[in-house]
Amino acid sequence: MSAIYKRDLRAYFTSPVGYVFIAAFVFVMNLVFYIQNMMTAQNRLTTVFSVMFYALIVLAPVLTMRTFSEEYKQKTDQLLLTAPVKPAGIVMGKFLAAYTVYVISLALLLIQVIIIAAVSTPNGAIIFGNYIALLAVGAVFIAIGTFVSSLTENQLVANIATLAINVFLFLMDYAYSLINLTWLKRILYWISIFRRYNTFYVGVFSVADFFFYLCAAAVFLFLTVRVLEKKRWS
Amino acid sequence: MIEVSNLTKTYGKKRGIDRLSFTIGDGEIVGFLGPNGAGKSTTMNIITGYLSASSGAARIGGIDVLEDPIAAKKQIGYLPEQPPLYLDMTVEEYLDFIFDLKAVRELKRRDHVMEICELVGLKDQYKRVIRNLSKGYKQRVGMAQALIGNPEVLILDEPTVGLDPKQIIEIRNVIKNLGKNRTIILSTHILQEVSAICERVLVINNGQIVADDKPENLSARITGERKLSVRVAGPQDMVRKILRSIDGVQFADVTVQAEKGSYDFLVEAKPNVDIRKPMFIALAKAGYPILQLKSMDLSLEDIFLSLVEEKKRQRNPQNKAPRKLSADTALNVSGGEPASGDDEQGKEADD
Repeated sequence: MSAIYKRDLRAYFTSPVGYVFIAAFVFVMNLVFYIQNMMTAQNRLTTVFSVMFYALIVLAPVLTMRTFSEEYKQKTDQLLLTAPVKPAGIVMGKFLAAYTVYVISLALLLIQVIIIAAVSTPNGAIIFGNYIALLAVGAVFIAIGTFVSSLTENQLVANIATLAINVFLFLMDYAYSLINLTWLKRILYWISIFRRYNTFYVGVFSVADFFFYLCAAAVFLFLTVRVLEKKRWS
Repeated sequence: MIEVSNLTKTYGKKRGIDRLSFTIGDGEIVGFLGPNGAGKSTTMNIITGYLSASSGAARIGGIDVLEDPIAAKKQIGYLPEQPPLYLDMTVEEYLDFIFDLKAVRELKRRDHVMEICELVGLKDQYKRVIRNLSKGYKQRVGMAQALIGNPEVLILDEPTVGLDPKQIIEIRNVIKNLGKNRTIILSTHILQEVSAICERVLVINNGQIVADDKPENLSARITGERKLSVRVAGPQDMVRKILRSIDGVQFADVTVQAEKGSYDFLVEAKPNVDIRKPMFIALAKAGYPILQLKSMDLSLEDIFLSLVEEKKRQRNPQNKAPRKLSADTALNVSGGEPASGDDEQGKEADD
């Protein structure tokens, strides 16, 4: 697993993908920070956090589109699957590599926190809660992307399909307010990724919601392992 | 070392391989010979655990590939048909990655990797990015990758495809050297390659084993030294008369005028008769020198045809259809060049 993790992490930075992701992430982050905090002289960082949350819908697919598609295309999956490594190890190695790139870009958000802290006293609980939420939500989006990438050898297809799923999840929240069926409402309420973010947004650390995110990520990673195992039977 | 029993792989309705069974002992070099799509790669992919069989089992050193994949895979070095290379890495980085991936603990990384690079002739390319290497060197990197961790079993899928003739000879020598203390399976569709490297050959066609023998026996089983192409300097009619008068000659005729004043003859001997010596003496006595004498190697297609027919006849003995070999080979001769292994190799090099 660690060999795959190291190689994948390295591959993010020997190709443009890692740089593009971090650059886009930091760009959006700073733009919002400038508009929301610098121009209005506010010390609340929550808007920056929540915008990043939505930016992930578009950015996460960029990060995950290569994970398996590239291996299929170059036939290097044959190397990984005939090496003495379990499929779960392959999936975790790749997931953690993508997640590391994400954490690096999220760490750059600390600069804003430091700037705010230097000129005022921000609400530590809110910043902490939002950080945890973004870390957890990122895991879900990256797991979804990893799963989709394991289904196709075309990076572009992987990217667009992941984007479509993310947008679908986002739209489900709108559907929630439009639908009158109680049972459907209840299901949508329960599986909504975005609604759960709201508790973190206001600075409440909700164990249940945090656990939901971890489970969602685990489900998609598990599905990815199954896809790899199923490939042998095709 | 390798036991395969009743291996079957179906793709939808099509059978990729059909009840394949064989055993390969320690230290054997075995060649899988067969045309494209015969099931060679499928068999290899199953043994290495990349694919699963629809039924049947493959065991490496007594370990079932499905039951304990990690332990089975640890013993195997695999070079797939297309070498699985990360093009953006250097040879050094790539081989280091493989070293980590295979979790080799008992060997020292630097020494081991350098030793392998020396063996396959990659030392000078060590720091280069794989993307920029020529096809021959990429193939060597693939080979080096399979060798990392000193696996006891090497499975090489068409290891010489796409190499130039010089590289082919080099890679063959590498394989021969490796085979001194390892079990090796390699697949090829070049007959000559099998006789050059392997101690044993499994001929596979349509997913079934049609022959399992030593390479020299295999060609003897089909032709022996029965068909010869002879180039003789002398008048056509006289030479033909002399050839036909030799004891043991079944068939002799001109195929083509080769050079000025000399002709190529196709001579076929009766079974189990070596006519080369009497032919030489008879022609020498008459004063017509032999300029060239070639035994007619069969093309792979001929071998398949005859082996498959042989097998059919074994199954239903009442059906005694004669082999149609002479006609096929005669055609090849009139075409100018016999369809031999060299010929195929030449085509390879052209690619």
